Amino acid sequence: MNTLQGQISNIEVNGSLALITTKVNGIPFTAIVIETPETASYLKLGNTIKVLFKETEVIIATGDVSGISLQNRITGTIIQLEKGTLLSKITLGTTVGNITSVITTNAVEQLGIETNTSVTAMIKTNEILLSQ
Amino acid sequence: MIQLSLHKQLHTAKGTISLDIELALEPGQFVTLYGESGAGKTSTLRMLAGLLSPDHGKIKVNENVWLDTDAKINRKPQKRKIGFVFQDYALFPNMTVRENLEYALTKNQDTDIIDELIAIVALGELQYQKPDRLSGGQQQRVALARALVQRPEILLLDEPLSALDTKMRIALQDYILKLHKQYNLTTILVSHNIGEILKLSDTVYILENGSITKSGTPTAIFTSHQMSAKFRFTGEVIAIQPEDVVYMVTVLIGTNVVKIIAQESEIQDLTIGDTVVVASKAFNPVIQKVL
Amino acid sequence: MMNWEPLILTFKLAIITTAILFVLGIPLAYWLAYSKSKIKPVIETLVSMPLVLPPTVLGFYLLVAFSPNNAFGNWINEWLGLRLIFSFEGLVIASILYSLPFMVQPIQAGLAGLPSNYKEASYVLGKSKFITLLKVLLPNIKPALLTGIVLSFAHTIGEFGVVLMIGGNIPGETKVASIAIYDEVEALNYDTANMYSLILLVITFSILLTVYLINGGYLKKYGR
Repeated sequence: MNTLQGQISNIEVNGSLALITTKVNGIPFTAIVIETPETASYLKLGNTIKVLFKETEVIIATGDVSGISLQNRITGTIIQLEKGTLLSKITLGTTVGNITSVITTNAVEQLGIETNTSVTAMIKTNEILLSQ
Repeated sequence: MIQLSLHKQLHTAKGTISLDIELALEPGQFVTLYGESGAGKTSTLRMLAGLLSPDHGKIKVNENVWLDTDAKINRKPQKRKIGFVFQDYALFPNMTVRENLEYALTKNQDTDIIDELIAIVALGELQYQKPDRLSGGQQQRVALARALVQRPEILLLDEPLSALDTKMRIALQDYILKLHKQYNLTTILVSHNIGEILKLSDTVYILENGSITKSGTPTAIFTSHQMSAKFRFTGEVIAIQPEDVVYMVTVLIGTNVVKIIAQESEIQDLTIGDTVVVASKAFNPVIQKVL
Repeated sequence: MMNWEPLILTFKLAIITTAILFVLGIPLAYWLAYSKSKIKPVIETLVSMPLVLPPTVLGFYLLVAFSPNNAFGNWINEWLGLRLIFSFEGLVIASILYSLPFMVQPIQAGLAGLPSNYKEASYVLGKSKFITLLKVLLPNIKPALLTGIVLSFAHTIGEFGVVLMIGGNIPGETKVASIAIYDEVEALNYDTANMYSLILLVITFSILLTVYLINGGYLKKYGR
């Protein structure tokens, strides 16, 4: 599980859903959750919370990423690449710390990425968990 | 309202501990006492039932004083109107299932309750058997039913499911919940099983060395922090195996076995038998009607 | 010729003794099984004394105690109109004391061997100690009760020393089979002695065999 820590910078509520933006070292991460400030006390502007997402949910892109719906994106450099038969583990160095991604080895080869390649990591809004 | 204030020097296998319990329970609550063995959970239950006397203390149930050591009041267990279920059932071997229940009747009590309870715990076919012919789960159902014959308001369960296998335990938990609701009971459970506590109780009290160190809802107590995940279950780790660059953790949730992909860093402090929370965003699971 | 009287007297004594012992033994065993009293070891020792004491010692002290020449015997004699030496009544009392451990010990062991939560479950269900004993505890120690009854009965049949000391040898009153056998042997009537002996042997063998068949290994456990 990738764990980042940041401060809540924006809360948009609609019914029992809320879109929460958390700034981690200046980089915004948005998460959609079935909680509102009424049901979860930790959802408060300025509160320090944890942003969690699973390694298998981290998408890796090289080159231009402008035409993609994903909101949460951060650039970084591959500092470690561990290739397995089917899956590979990529560790990225970013301004918010290390982020780990698990993608297929096929994808690694197709993208032609290796250590020191610059890539963009992206996470879907609905894959991000918030925790106190 | 049940108010307890109990103090006693207990001599346990680990030495003497000083039990100091202050509790106030609302009627209708399902409460669990959780803690290591020797922490004083069972002693607390036994003192409430009158089977053990505290050195000093007070028990008040609604407006009735059951115990007040200062005023030299100590109601006998016979006068406390309590249902008590023992870990090893304590069924009377000389009586059939039905006779065990009938023995519990008070003078002039309507016998309809016997048939009602036998129906609820589904023991109709076994009612004329002696307890030694029954499985552990069946015996515990009899013990539960017997404890409720006198329509007590308080039900005390002393690790009632610890001797049963998982499947039986899940089934018994459902019976306990059903009876708790149907008879408007205030139930106090002693349990070691976190999954069971999460499923059954409203409030959990953690006992350590004779004192309550923490209390709250089971979710607040047993999950280290609040999380926005709505798709969340508690289970027991039954296997951890490496798969390529990741690990596959097999978790038993109730009677279902699920598998979770985890990273090396996540499995480092996990061992088989650990209780874990398995969580995901509510957005991810798919739902499909079973035909 | 053989006289049936000593045999009949023997069984009459054994039946009465066992019946009284059963009624006395249960509360005593109950107390010994559950009491935490400080005097419990003393009572336990007293109950077990007949197991190790020569019967003649018990008989001798009973003889002294019951004798109208001392205060206790005299009191019983005057107030209850009972003369306890050289009488059937005295024999019954002596037999009760002599066979006490054989009734009390199996029942005590039986009660102590029951899970304590039978008792507690019954109390929580609102039942008194007496009802609990009657309906829950005793029915679950039937083998121990049977053992107590049979051992007391058999032991009373076999007693000799106590009877001789306190009962003497009064035909129809205190002359039980074991005394009669001794008498016949003294008079060199080996045939009659053999008849008495054989009858006692066969009867006690049958009783014990029946119990072993019913109880399985239980007697071995609690009988001594």
